[in-house]
Amino acid sequence: MTAHHSRASVDNAPRAAQGLAVLTLSMLLLLAGCGGGSDDSAGGVVSPPPLPPAPPAVSQAEAFRFLNQATFGATEADADQLRNVGLDAWLDAQINTPASLQLPHILEIESTSQALAFTLQADRVDIWFRNSLHGPDQLRQRVTFALSQIMVVSQLGVLVQGPWALADYYDTLARNAFGNFRVLMEEVTLHPAMGVYLSMRGNRKPDPALNIRPDENYARELMQLFSIGLVELAIDGSVRTDSAGQPIPTYDQAVVEGFAHVFTGWNFAGALTFERARPTITNQTQRMQLYPAFHDTDPKQLLNGLVLPGGQTGEQDLADALDNIFTHPNVGPFIGRQLIQRLVTSNPSPAYIQRVAETFADNGEGIRGDLGAVIRAILLDPEARPASPADTAGKLKEPLLRVTQLWRAYDGASASGRYPLGQSYVLFGQGPLQAPSVFNFFSPDYAPPGEMGSRDLVAPEMQIATEFQNTFITNVLAAYTFVQNSANPDLRPDQVAIDIDEELLLADDIDALIDRVSEKLLAGDISPMLRTEIAGMLERIPVSDSTARVAETIYFVVTSPEYAYQR
Amino acid sequence: MMTRLTRRRLLAGSAAAAAMSAGWPSLQVLAAPAPFSDYRALVCVFLFGGNDAWNTLVPRSPAEYDVYAASRQNLAIEREALLPISPLASDGVDYGLHPMMSGLQGLFEQGRLAIINNVGPLIQPVSVSDYFSGNAALPPQLFSHNDQQDQWHTLKGASQSATGWAGRMADMLRTQVAGQQLATNISLFGNSLFQAGGETVAYVMGPGGPVPFLGFDTSGFGLEQRRAFERIIEAAYGSVYERAFAAVQRRAVSTVDVVTTALDQAPILQTTFPASQLGEQLRTVARMIAVRDQLEMQRQVFFVAIGGFDTHDDQIELQPGLLGDVSDAMSAFYSATEELGVADAVTTFTQSDFGRTLTSNGTGTDHAWGSVQLVLGGSVLGRELYGEYPLLELGGTGDVGGGRFIPTVSSDQYAATLARWFGIEVADLPLVAPHIGNFAQQDLGFML
Repeated sequence: MTAHHSRASVDNAPRAAQGLAVLTLSMLLLLAGCGGGSDDSAGGVVSPPPLPPAPPAVSQAEAFRFLNQATFGATEADADQLRNVGLDAWLDAQINTPASLQLPHILEIESTSQALAFTLQADRVDIWFRNSLHGPDQLRQRVTFALSQIMVVSQLGVLVQGPWALADYYDTLARNAFGNFRVLMEEVTLHPAMGVYLSMRGNRKPDPALNIRPDENYARELMQLFSIGLVELAIDGSVRTDSAGQPIPTYDQAVVEGFAHVFTGWNFAGALTFERARPTITNQTQRMQLYPAFHDTDPKQLLNGLVLPGGQTGEQDLADALDNIFTHPNVGPFIGRQLIQRLVTSNPSPAYIQRVAETFADNGEGIRGDLGAVIRAILLDPEARPASPADTAGKLKEPLLRVTQLWRAYDGASASGRYPLGQSYVLFGQGPLQAPSVFNFFSPDYAPPGEMGSRDLVAPEMQIATEFQNTFITNVLAAYTFVQNSANPDLRPDQVAIDIDEELLLADDIDALIDRVSEKLLAGDISPMLRTEIAGMLERIPVSDSTARVAETIYFVVTSPEYAYQR
Repeated sequence: MMTRLTRRRLLAGSAAAAAMSAGWPSLQVLAAPAPFSDYRALVCVFLFGGNDAWNTLVPRSPAEYDVYAASRQNLAIEREALLPISPLASDGVDYGLHPMMSGLQGLFEQGRLAIINNVGPLIQPVSVSDYFSGNAALPPQLFSHNDQQDQWHTLKGASQSATGWAGRMADMLRTQVAGQQLATNISLFGNSLFQAGGETVAYVMGPGGPVPFLGFDTSGFGLEQRRAFERIIEAAYGSVYERAFAAVQRRAVSTVDVVTTALDQAPILQTTFPASQLGEQLRTVARMIAVRDQLEMQRQVFFVAIGGFDTHDDQIELQPGLLGDVSDAMSAFYSATEELGVADAVTTFTQSDFGRTLTSNGTGTDHAWGSVQLVLGGSVLGRELYGEYPLLELGGTGDVGGGRFIPTVSSDQYAATLARWFGIEVADLPLVAPHIGNFAQQDLGFML
């Protein structure tokens, strides 16, 4: 019954677009939550060991900039912490903080209720919000979110019945977020979530009598999207060209077929035979298993002229093939650029990409693929910490990050502790493991028309910042400020509310109120224009209506272009 | 205005150069074109993921069916289950549509639906030996989803392009539709390169239409709220990202009332649409067309879409629901245009990433090239198949391996035929379809 309801509301979700009344209703239904929250997980600040030398001074604006790159939203508490210990020590501590996981939460819910797969997807999103908002491993969670948008699997499609697989996949990314890229590739390749999503699970050696040849899906997307891309890159990310000035493809159809043959023979673990393998709750979180009889043993054409000899085991073929990709010179610039785009800026300079790619190639200790070192290089690069930023520095915030920053700054929580946002992808055009396809919510190369297109700049997040989606998010933020706040006595247990108690005390002092909101959300750096507009509106609201004054202030900040911009 | 005309002449000049280099006979110098006196709309239904063409339209004649079945093996559809069609001109083979496509089968038989065979992105005609010898230019990154989607959207072949062919049409026609209250291009499925123009910007609404801003009003506090919001998004900003974001917000605020007010006057449609995403999108398009006069629209391109066609697994289970939805939604939409009395003025057509392999990978198919596309409307010369349907033989004519067929009709020809009907002059077709000069037939003849 519960499952049926949830499914129905998903199918109907787009209708929420049809009108104000429906939209408001959908907000009340979907965004339901309360105050209270889980105190044990509040805060999100790690206590690193004290460092002997005093770290260089970090301004509040710089602390906010850094934290908006490295966490799910800067808070004053985190900024204080960061300014005390400095960026290096903060990064050390974060990289050593273990992952906050999703699967234990899903298994616990399942053990205490008769939850069906579909309702567990909402629980999966709930634990994503809990970990993203409150996890002490903020940097790891932020990088995991970035990786989940490069090595994409999604609830939308065949994995709708696989919340366990998806939760464990996200945990797998989190565990490996600062590990080695070669290990990450293998974990992703053999994860049942990926096996199902890109149909490598159940892929078998050719059967010429039935005109069956190996499935090319995973082979193609592993190369195109998860590792090297379509064309050869220089280490600074620029496209290499041949003597005729044309880009040089990294692979051709023969190579796709070679890898497709490598990825044969794998299926869910623990079945009696390859053909009898079926998903269970257990095996969808276990590495896939090789069923040797279904692995192709002919020679295989791979990248850069490598031919795997015939007769190797499936495991050996897989190891050699992943090594073949991992050592391709494209991986550093290709993955490095996308991680920079998710964390710091849409338009890194070639020199910035090169510095990061060089770190990927060698972490300083002769090791290739050290993601922890790569993340450190990305965040400590001079281009990520500019003294006077160019007008192309930074990026548009991803829609979910606009919300998480608000809720981290204002302790967004519900009485039940839940974040009932299973339909995040409808509300924000973005949700955890809810991309419309393996091509993610947006392309790393999306260039919006107008100024950016004509200046040869890209802004991936602009691809989903449509008139429709932006308006929808603006309205959701209206509900999150005007309705779902701590002054509302009528909140339901699942309704997530921001804590505005401190601001209510300032409501009679317009300047002080705007200052306080600006400090929490913009490091105190509100533009004079926005301040003037908010002050003008506040003067129209009676002093007695303190809630409206506070909500008005926060609404205008979080819907403003300056807040949507990650500096 | 002067700069626009100048630019148009410049564009025309480059078209002339392109046309002459492509061996075109002549080109007239363009006078300022007169505004349109009629209304026409193109509706693109994009099938994301790459629809499997060879189970969409299937040969029924015994010999050709047997070849198909031998190639397709476990993916073949039972011959008896296919829905027979009877084209006015036969190529000697009987064909049938997928069993779930009864709505479109009926419209084909009524002469409203045309099927374009083995169409796909090409720069020039290509043979199998050209393909392997490198003697012909090929679209880059064949068999890759996003690249081949971009090929359909832009028709730009080997060149990168920031504009799509619908966007370029809107640019070219902008002086002829100057009175329109809305952009020529409207999407109900997010931003698409197809509609990106150099000078015109598409408007994106939701599947059910635009969303109004909560808390805005036409008087009192709600009006002041709106004005403050507008001043904020009209302000000058230091970063390109803030400027781009604010520009979208400005379009959203300035357009929503116009559209919502017009839609409030839309008649209640008697036509029932399927309760699917695609059905909802096409229902909204029908409502938008119903209020075209209130909005003073003369030329419109709508973009709607449905995903899920990337059937690497379980194709036999998945494709029926998808094609059933396409058939039901497109049929309902055609009925709605009849109900509104605009069937002759509205042409609906499909595009999709690519066709799929004839061979199976177990339970599904992989990325290929040529496909079949559908064109529906009162001005379509329907009940016909256009272009050659290949013999579905592995290693046969046009197969470059695994049952990947080289298109024998180019997307440029497909687009140019639609563009001509939409009002693009012959001389300007190379601006829409840059490689049209490489093909003998500019107009496939499926439009009145």
